[in-house]
Amino acid sequence: METNKVNADVQASDQVRSPSGVSILWREIVRDKVALVSLILLVLTCLFVYGISFFLKQSEIVTVDLFAIHQAPNEQFLLGTDYGGRDVFGQLIIGTRNSLSIGILVTIISGTVGILLGLISGYFGGHIDNAAMRLVDFFMVLPTLMIVIVFVTIVSDYSIWSFSLIMSSFLWMGIARLIRSKALQERELDYVQASKTLGSSNFKIMFTQVLPNLSSIIIVTMTLNLAANIGIESGLSFLGFGFPESTPSLGTLISYARNPQTLEFRWWIWLPAAILILILMLAINNVGQALKRATDARQRRG
Amino acid sequence: MAFLEVKDLQVYFPIKGGFFNRTVGHIKAVDGVSFSLEQGKTYGLVGESGSGKSTTGRAIIGLENVTSGQVLFEGKDITSMKSKTKDLRKDIQMIFQDPYSSLNPKKRVLDIIAEPLRNFENHSKQEEKKQVQDLLELVGLSPESIFKYPHQFSGGQRQRIGVARALALKPKLIIADEPVSALDVSVQAQVLNFMREIQDQLNLTYLLISHDLGIIKHMCDHIGIMYKGRYVEEGTKDEIFTNPHHIYSKRLVAAIPDINPRMREKQYRYRQEVQEEYNQSYNDYFDQEGLAYSLQSISDTHKVALPKRG
Amino acid sequence: MWKFIVRRLFVTFPQIVLLSIIIFILAQMMPGDALTGLIDPNIDPAAIEQQRERLGLNNPWYVQYADWVKGAVQGDLGQSFRYKMPVTELIEQRMINTFWLSLLTLIFTYVMAIPLGIISGRWNDTWLDRAITGYTYIGFAAPLFITALLMVWIFGFHFGWFPTGGSVAPGLTPGTFEYFMSKLQHLLLPAFSMAVITTVSTVQYLRSEIIDTKQKDFIITARAKGAPESRVYNRHIFRNSLLPIAAFFGYEISGLIGGSVFIETIFAFPGMGKLFLDSVLLRDFSVVSSVVLIFGIAAILGALLSDIILSIVDPRIRIK
Ligand SMILES: Nc1ncnc2c1ncn2[C@@H]1O[C@H](COP(=O)(O)OP(=O)(O)OP(=O)(O)O)[C@@H](O)[C@H]1O
Ligand SMILES: [Mg+2]
Repeated sequence: METNKVNADVQASDQVRSPSGVSILWREIVRDKVALVSLILLVLTCLFVYGISFFLKQSEIVTVDLFAIHQAPNEQFLLGTDYGGRDVFGQLIIGTRNSLSIGILVTIISGTVGILLGLISGYFGGHIDNAAMRLVDFFMVLPTLMIVIVFVTIVSDYSIWSFSLIMSSFLWMGIARLIRSKALQERELDYVQASKTLGSSNFKIMFTQVLPNLSSIIIVTMTLNLAANIGIESGLSFLGFGFPESTPSLGTLISYARNPQTLEFRWWIWLPAAILILILMLAINNVGQALKRATDARQRRG
Repeated sequence: MAFLEVKDLQVYFPIKGGFFNRTVGHIKAVDGVSFSLEQGKTYGLVGESGSGKSTTGRAIIGLENVTSGQVLFEGKDITSMKSKTKDLRKDIQMIFQDPYSSLNPKKRVLDIIAEPLRNFENHSKQEEKKQVQDLLELVGLSPESIFKYPHQFSGGQRQRIGVARALALKPKLIIADEPVSALDVSVQAQVLNFMREIQDQLNLTYLLISHDLGIIKHMCDHIGIMYKGRYVEEGTKDEIFTNPHHIYSKRLVAAIPDINPRMREKQYRYRQEVQEEYNQSYNDYFDQEGLAYSLQSISDTHKVALPKRG
Repeated sequence: MWKFIVRRLFVTFPQIVLLSIIIFILAQMMPGDALTGLIDPNIDPAAIEQQRERLGLNNPWYVQYADWVKGAVQGDLGQSFRYKMPVTELIEQRMINTFWLSLLTLIFTYVMAIPLGIISGRWNDTWLDRAITGYTYIGFAAPLFITALLMVWIFGFHFGWFPTGGSVAPGLTPGTFEYFMSKLQHLLLPAFSMAVITTVSTVQYLRSEIIDTKQKDFIITARAKGAPESRVYNRHIFRNSLLPIAAFFGYEISGLIGGSVFIETIFAFPGMGKLFLDSVLLRDFSVVSSVVLIFGIAAILGALLSDIILSIVDPRIRIK
């Protein structure tokens, strides 16, 4: 046997990063101009919205001022006022902040549930998997929106938290299914078998061996889910079953358009919020799609 | 007391089907296999694809559920994967066929090789690093590689990492399932020779699974030949290669290509003779279902699957 | 195939039972019960108690559940608290409206999606394809209610091309041609608004199917042999892509249900979705649970139907 180190051809470059990981995702975004612009836009929006709302007082903005109702945009109120004389621009800032925050919260809660269930289901397979997938099938066909609305009306201590929990409990299925199918593939790989022979417990294998290999797919799905969840939250708020008026979200502002008068003649109240949601969702989706391409080697651009 | 003893091992896989996805039958991947290993020796398991070699190896180490039969390691029953026997299993390790999928791509070499150490032994970070570096040195890789990821190594190097990981717990028995079949031919010999070298150094016992008789001949002291989940013949290397009894073994041995070009013609004719004999006497060696009979001893070490006569 | 269908039915039945249990539990959690709709609150409490006993409202929950299911199966969904009329009667006309709306939406969806998908797949990477892909990108991101609001605002209010509310102009006699045209006119914009969004997934599916097909050997062979390429092509695409798409309609139902709540609210269209929302606001919970039950069963049956049709047209699906 040759005793010299068979190591010559391993270049000691800067490649001490895990492969197909965060670095690839990042590279794809930088290569994709639209996604890059979207990302910058998102970061700026977040900074702006979270920064400014630090100085704005939510309670002040949502206080009714009957002497200033339905004003068109003017110097004092950049985007006019609503039927309670409240500053639309201020509500827009706070609404964006609230929408983003709740979107992130719901994405994290539902994502965690979905990932846990999918991982367990796919890793163990068999009866556990069968039962879990029947459950997913069932939740998928439920008229989710309506059930959420019913829940929202009958829950007694209604708050941001209970609202997030209600939303999350009907939004974990997609990611559970995805993670499950990936975990099913992953568990057949020899590194999982090897871990078993090396004495690692199933729990340890699932979370320290399999989960890291799903990280990029999780990032992608969570990003796309974030966009979807912001949409769902604003939809619920639009119908009047999301945030209370004292905690405006973007959907709350748009909901004023349920009044035909407002819809037709007072565009400044709802249109900016509608456009803002469109832009936010497009931007997040752009980033998500670029990330998705990055996880699929065939579609990668660079 | 044998070092490792496998007694009448059966591993069946259910075939699902029918209305409610119930079990409608079984694939008898391993069907009544018995053999024993001697410490410090290499035992070869040969057979064509699907004959149940891998399943046998995986059942011994606990990756498959054993349907019936027993696996005794140094006299202790390790058949079921219970926590009680888990500690015994650190004496048995495995080298996997595919050097690409058997190393977690997201882990550094340090974490890969230290995984078994973290499960069974309590070391400080420093000690652990030192041990991993020693292991790397042992398998002929540079100790500086510990912070690299698997994709930065070649196939042969990865297989060495796999070996280092298997050696971490100082096992006594290593099950190597086609350890070199995924490697370039030029690298195969390197890895095999290196495996023999550490065998002498560490007094290892190998269960070597392969369908390549050349490799088996090169490496093994004892050999078992499997066909459709059963043993057809077992013996020492000499017995199998110079005096095969079962018609199936004869055919396998005859199929080994001869390097000497002058012998080719002769070998070709010999191979044809064996093939003819195989066709003619197939029914004498296999039962109605085409399975091998149970083993009969024809010497101390040599056993052949023949029908019971008288 | 029969095996698949029967096995699929064995999944459907528990789904419906589970759905009904969930709705029953929700209904129990909702304030008010069947009596709330029937009597005047100023009546003597003892008399109320007597009434409760008579109506079986003091029975254990499983007896009540059984009664409720028995009623529902026979078409008795209870009384509306607000309108003091049987829920079934209240729902009937709304259901018909929503049915037409959904049907027209589906028709629009396929009429738009199929040509767009085929164009974008066959001539991929042309400017036309890029425009269509751009549309799917935006359509994928845009929430339905925002699209619908913009549609109403622009085409309804600003240009005045379409009515902005109701399901038919008042004062027309049912059965006449004007009546029919008015109905249709009221359906067009809402159905189109929803279709703009539901089209997206179908266009994307069709586009990638066609691009995949293009690379397949038999198309290349046919091309090499000089066979009329478009014939081979069309037949293949029809068999492998269009039939499955046609079968997807059942899966679309759950999307349409969610959509109908938004669309009917925005267009003030008297259908099930709006009825649901109004009833929630009015706390008319017997109506609420009935609507959820009907929509839920519709979605379950839709998925069942699509699964069965797909298993016939595309055997690959059956494996799952
Ligand atoms: N998990 C499983 N489920 C069902 N059948 C299996 C499973 N694993 C193996 N089998 C079947 O058991 C039989 C023996 O397989 P095994 O992998 O042990 O063969 P092998 O001798 O290692 O073949 P090869 O040389 O191809 O690796 C085969 O028929 C295989 O299809
Ligand atoms: Mg094998």
